[in-house]
Amino acid sequence: MMFAAVLVALLVTMLLTLVRALLGPTLFDRLLAINSIGTKTVLLISVHGFYTGRPEFLDIALAYALINFIGTIAVLKLFEVDDLGSGSYQEDDY
Amino acid sequence: MDHFIIICLLSFLVAIAIGIVVLRDLLAGVLLSGLYSFVAAAAFVVMDAVDVAFTEAAVGAGISTILFLGALTFTRHDQKRRGHDSLPALVFVVVTGGLLIYGTLDMPYYGSATSPAQTHPELAVRFIEQSAGEVGPPNIVTSVLASYRGYDTLGEVVVVFAAGIAVLSLLGLRRRTPVAEAPDDAPGDVPGDANGNANGDSPERPTDNGSGTRT
Amino acid sequence: MVEPIINLICLPLLAVACLFIVGGAVGLLRLPDFYTRLHATSVTDTGGAIFVSIALFMQAVFVYGDVMITIKVVLILFFTLFTAPTASHALAKTALLSGHVPLGADGKPLLATRGEAARLARSRPVSDDDPQLGVDGAMQDSDGGEQR
Repeated sequence: MMFAAVLVALLVTMLLTLVRALLGPTLFDRLLAINSIGTKTVLLISVHGFYTGRPEFLDIALAYALINFIGTIAVLKLFEVDDLGSGSYQEDDY
Repeated sequence: MDHFIIICLLSFLVAIAIGIVVLRDLLAGVLLSGLYSFVAAAAFVVMDAVDVAFTEAAVGAGISTILFLGALTFTRHDQKRRGHDSLPALVFVVVTGGLLIYGTLDMPYYGSATSPAQTHPELAVRFIEQSAGEVGPPNIVTSVLASYRGYDTLGEVVVVFAAGIAVLSLLGLRRRTPVAEAPDDAPGDVPGDANGNANGDSPERPTDNGSGTRT
Repeated sequence: MVEPIINLICLPLLAVACLFIVGGAVGLLRLPDFYTRLHATSVTDTGGAIFVSIALFMQAVFVYGDVMITIKVVLILFFTLFTAPTASHALAKTALLSGHVPLGADGKPLLATRGEAARLARSRPVSDDDPQLGVDGAMQDSDGGEQR
């Protein structure tokens, strides 16, 4: 019962964050909202697994967490350097 | 509860698709298409199709987004404004979509136990009963994909391989200038005038069109 | 017999997690500037994930008793703890580097120019003859005499 409440809360959150992803005036707002929806998806899959009594699908949540993170960092790198890795980026800028 | 979750996630997909079509900034479109794959993968997990969810997340949210971003480095970031919309095209598309929806009204309900896929002796019944003996792996979906429907998988592998070669050949042809000749207007650099004051605008990336706010 | 007790313990944990998560989403919609939204999202995302993971961990240990599931829940918690703050830091730094100027409490920009924001974001101290810098040769806030 409580897992159902958590699932409903997660879906409401995803809806609100989706509004920001569609509205957000700058691209950074959109990227932030997309990263957030990715994290909520990880939680949704984990809680759904325990809700149905079959928590064996947690591997997928793990893979999603990684894909979400790598995707965000790749897009940020594109924003900054306009290049996805051909080597002309000075690494000592940080 | 499962149905409710699936309906919610599918309606998110509709909203994201409308957003992709309406927004004129291509970078935002690419990001939203990555999000589309993510939410679709979540819907697949709730529908108990775990293999498909893995593939959708890896291909759609991972590789496809990165490849689109790589392609976007070659071109501008906003869509060209179209001249006029075509009314006959719209009518044609609506009629075709309506006919397709009318065609699906005849299909069995989602998860129905009396559908032909479940009751035909050569399909689901045979897969469930004889897959362990004939093919081997404990996961029946794997044995269907790899053995009973092997030609489909072969076709898919050929298509993906051809697409991969095409993309690699396109993205690998153009080389950026090496470090010694880094362009003057790389994003993040600050063009300055003689007084050491920065001019008002650094290179504009990334911004959106379509709203009046200052970024 | 163990199950109702564990459910009773998990209930407040999950309720707090729901509060975090929904509050973060409301903040994402209502706050005025990108940096404030970033703050709302990153803090509440990680907090909500921590509480949900603790509740699921207790469920996995006491109700299911399965070692692999427990390990997977702990792994998810670890990955979220490492990657969510890193991603939000990367977002903030890239936004500043691209010249996105934060707004103050009264809605006016806090920095005068986008270039100043870009220079604030560089953490590497720059020598005087660096070609990437302007003529003044110093790092952040060299234009301290500017009006805000």
